[in-house]
Amino acid sequence: MFQIEPIETRNLDEWPDDAFRSEVRQFLASHYPPELRFPPRRLHFSENKPWYIALAKAGWLTPGWPRQYGGLGLSAGKQLILIEEYERHGCARLNDMGMTMIGPLLIKHGSIAQQEFFLPKILSGAHIWAQGYSEPNAGSDLAALRCEAIADGADWIITGQKTWTTLANDANWIFLLVRTDKSGRKQEGISCFLVDMSLPGITVRPIINLELHDEFCEVFFDQVRVSDSCRVGELNQGWAIAKNLLGFERIYLGSPRQSEQALDRLKLLGERMNLTEDAFFIDRFTRLQLDLEDLKCLFSHFADQLRRGETLGADVSMLKLFQSELYQRITEAMMEFAGEFAGLLEPMGGNRELHPGGAFIAARPTSIYGGTNEIQRNILAKNVLDMPG
Amino acid sequence: MTESDLRLIRESAGGIAPRTGDLKRIRALRFTTHGFDPAIWRQICDLGWPGLALSEAQGGSALGMAAFCALAEELGAALVPEPLISAALAASGLPETHNAAHLAGTNLILPAWQEQPDSLARTWHCQCRDGRLNGRKCFVVQAAAASSFIVTTAQGLALVPAAGEGVQLSVEKTQDGGHFGTLDFTDAPAEPLSADHGLAIEEATLATAATLLGVADRAFAITLDYLKSRSQFGKPIGSFQALQHRMADLKIQLELTRASIAAAAHSYDQGGTEALRLAAISRAKARASDSALLITRQAIQLHGGIGYTDEADIGLYLRKAMVLANLYGSAASHRARFAALSKI
Repeated sequence: MFQIEPIETRNLDEWPDDAFRSEVRQFLASHYPPELRFPPRRLHFSENKPWYIALAKAGWLTPGWPRQYGGLGLSAGKQLILIEEYERHGCARLNDMGMTMIGPLLIKHGSIAQQEFFLPKILSGAHIWAQGYSEPNAGSDLAALRCEAIADGADWIITGQKTWTTLANDANWIFLLVRTDKSGRKQEGISCFLVDMSLPGITVRPIINLELHDEFCEVFFDQVRVSDSCRVGELNQGWAIAKNLLGFERIYLGSPRQSEQALDRLKLLGERMNLTEDAFFIDRFTRLQLDLEDLKCLFSHFADQLRRGETLGADVSMLKLFQSELYQRITEAMMEFAGEFAGLLEPMGGNRELHPGGAFIAARPTSIYGGTNEIQRNILAKNVLDMPG
Repeated sequence: MTESDLRLIRESAGGIAPRTGDLKRIRALRFTTHGFDPAIWRQICDLGWPGLALSEAQGGSALGMAAFCALAEELGAALVPEPLISAALAASGLPETHNAAHLAGTNLILPAWQEQPDSLARTWHCQCRDGRLNGRKCFVVQAAAASSFIVTTAQGLALVPAAGEGVQLSVEKTQDGGHFGTLDFTDAPAEPLSADHGLAIEEATLATAATLLGVADRAFAITLDYLKSRSQFGKPIGSFQALQHRMADLKIQLELTRASIAAAAHSYDQGGTEALRLAAISRAKARASDSALLITRQAIQLHGGIGYTDEADIGLYLRKAMVLANLYGSAASHRARFAALSKI
């Protein structure tokens, strides 16, 4: 079996939670670039690279990977502590597709040759991955995707388009879901490919989002030739692989931290607008605060399941739904109480924490990404409440 | 309390409060003089439920609020009308000598503490001097069944026989088939008690939140079953996305309520500052009151016409929520208290 010697020689997973938490805090204090704390938007690799490299050098880039692949081998409970501390410290989210999705995918489904080639390059930061899932006509209905790979001898020729590809403009490799069979059910003709983005025929076009930021891109494939060694997993079995990739991400999207930070900022805005004695403001603020406190209780309930080593059920969708909509409601309150400042393009008085319009816009996609909230409600109705189809 | 301890408590509740039993007993007791069945009350006492969270010194079993809330939730789910929470509150202020008969169910003592509607104030105008009680108490739950009242006064707790001189009781029926009593005391002979309720009114508040959770949980389950069995346009109405999404949203409110109450009970049992404990209880009661009313009224809508009949059980859940939502403080009062407490 292929193995990678972990850089972090200590087995942190065996540490008591409290000791681990304080180790993480110390690590952040000494390694995290102070100027990158609480970034106002998702950072590009050129911006977050110092943090990325610091983690890579310490062997901390891939907390969830097993130690024999160079990871920290942390249990879900320990990973949650790590995320809590990162969020508390205001750490920028990295170009983390390789760490959270592609690595675990290759460890589970990749060939030894693929593991040997790709895993060390994720660990070093040499490969920055993007994930090509959505297409213009395959969003919520992802299985309807049409980007296609046609066999040509030992090679495959890929043609089609991906969209909403997060930070594709930073990536040098892309994980693709493509159609390899059109004859059966739409879920049954999908395969996974690992594609070098420098190949001829690939064009990346950034999309400017409502934050006026080029966070995601369209990626075009015009007869891109790849060898069969770039295919991962069984042919036409890509749908199951892609669905399994979610897992841990689902509780991450329900973390109360986003709403908590927004509520702190609503409070600050209330002070700035002289509303702290205003009965309407206090009532509105308290309702949101109580929603946040109860969300934390529910989040702990799921986090405890992870700590006990249990697998999360479909009911974890409740967290993503409530968190994203609470976050949006908090930013909507900011808009209502901010007066004319609500319309400002830049933060009030240059204070990054006082930017009601920016927060309001930043909150919009949370109910769209990671499976729209409408899809999440379908999941709850069908898989949790067992309602008829 | 471990998860399996709590499961045992829930299972033991099933004998008297079956989750899925029919509600014939509940219906038969509606709007009767006592509003509940004294024989069932004695069974409940034999099981030791009123003293479940009470200290051992007072004759209880000191199992804590997590246990008491699990029990209250089951009784809520089965719409049990016997006055468990009131009796537990009364017991907190009674000396062991009185508690023996009270906890055995032979002598029901009910708490008369409230003087204003929707008030979380814990100061009292009722006066008890030289063994004579004067003043007015209101919203005394199931008051007509009491043999005595334990009354909060400016001078501390006092015990008054229900049939004693100077005690006048008037009764108003409540939506759930029970009643509230208003008590007027005019120089009523009373026995001053040295104990006080301590935080027992807070415990009753949290247990009421747990009862509301049980009411909401069962109303949700009944509605979900109905949506799966009722057909229109040739398919079960539960297959329609508009109704599925509404149920998904109600499910979230239900689980927030459950998590909020469990966390409040846990932190209460763990100790901590009084401000933190009261804030957690206010948080849980505000959530439970709002979500139980939301879920039960949506349940009526989702049942359609049949939901508006007295014959359908779902209406019993709405009526129970209507009474309990504002008992021991409305959602608005508890939000205000939470805001005041979290400023400190």
